[in-house]
Amino acid sequence: MKNTYVIIADISQLSRSGIMAIMKQTGFSFIFREVFQAEKLIRLLQNEPNNLLIISNSFLNSCSPEVIRKILSQSTPILRVLIQDTGMNSRFYNDFHEILKPEDNEKVILRKLEKQVRSLIKPDPATNQPEEISEREKDVLKLVAVGMTNKEIAEKLYISSHTVITHRKNITSKLGIKTIAGLTVYAIIHKLVSF
Amino acid sequence: MLIQSNMKMAEVIHLDYHLLPIVSRFGINLGFGDKTIEQVCREQGVDTNFFLEILNSYYNKDYFPQKHLQGFSLEVIIEYLRKSHDYYLHTKIPLIEHLLRQMIDSFQGIGTETLKLINGFFAEYKNELTRHIDREEEKVYPYVFTVEAAFILRKSSKEIVRLIHAYSMEDFEKEHDNVEDKLFDLKNILIKYLPLPVDLQLCHAVLIELFRLETDLKDHARIEDKVLVPKVKYMEKWLIEHATV
Repeated sequence: MKNTYVIIADISQLSRSGIMAIMKQTGFSFIFREVFQAEKLIRLLQNEPNNLLIISNSFLNSCSPEVIRKILSQSTPILRVLIQDTGMNSRFYNDFHEILKPEDNEKVILRKLEKQVRSLIKPDPATNQPEEISEREKDVLKLVAVGMTNKEIAEKLYISSHTVITHRKNITSKLGIKTIAGLTVYAIIHKLVSF
Repeated sequence: MLIQSNMKMAEVIHLDYHLLPIVSRFGINLGFGDKTIEQVCREQGVDTNFFLEILNSYYNKDYFPQKHLQGFSLEVIIEYLRKSHDYYLHTKIPLIEHLLRQMIDSFQGIGTETLKLINGFFAEYKNELTRHIDREEEKVYPYVFTVEAAFILRKSSKEIVRLIHAYSMEDFEKEHDNVEDKLFDLKNILIKYLPLPVDLQLCHAVLIELFRLETDLKDHARIEDKVLVPKVKYMEKWLIEHATV
């Protein structure tokens, strides 16, 4: 699997090490770069591949406005996570995809970071498109809804029982409905059958 | 974080209000004052350790002290399972029925047929769940106690082995599924396919209750599958091995 490039920008060594330790628990592989100076951060952002920037509020606050603008306007696609370490509300909230709060426990932090990493790894699975059932599947669904067995459906539609089973599997996975009673409700709502 | 016996009962609820129905299942009701978990348990005659393990396994999805839970007596475990059954049938299901009825009553116009269909679907689910629970209470639990009684006395017999061969935990595992499917479908019908302009607040309330019921049932099934079943299976095995020929 491809490595994920992570920059951790935080003045505190403890904090940087803590984040890395938690991220390792996700089981993904990372290349970490630790930063505690603004100039080094800018250099990294401009010259090297990056996927994820984790930066603390106090680090940001210590940067000049010009540097902050450079950090936040980074044009390459990069996810930004803010560590809210100073306890106060940050004026940068809207520029971040995720905020790690002081009260977050290890589990919460892990979940938040994992979510970001996952979104990096698989952008848009093709399965997200709406799936319509085909005309043939509709025929099968109608007969399921009136209570026919697979064998009866096969005979009626001149197909093998095996094909009926395949159609039913596809119908269930497309509609997200598993039971016969549920399929019947769907068929009635969509006027495929009437009672 | 683990919930511990010296924590205040009130704090636990603040920590995670989803634990409320679990707590009340043990006969522990609101108005805790500043009492700790240990204190309320003692007052109610509840096994504090068991109570803590259940709370923690509901509160923290990754926490499931399987071996530790198996250490409790079947009586304690089954009493808890029975109380959850009671909660599903006499609190949760009636609540969802009530909300569904309100949703249907608030809707007038073409399409009431569809809503009635959904209502009927839920009624079917309720029947299935009731049958499932009845079977556990009337057949499975008495069987389990018989097995335990023989095991505690370390006394196997032809009768008990015959009983085990007639119905064992393996059969229980086989029949122990599918009740969730209807619940899953109902959720999806409401989320994806409800074509009518029903009262959205009521519809949301129904959905939220369905999700909660589903989560609760999953935790319940986990205790059955990972605690009850292995524990009884171990006893069955011993009894079969030590049967007097």
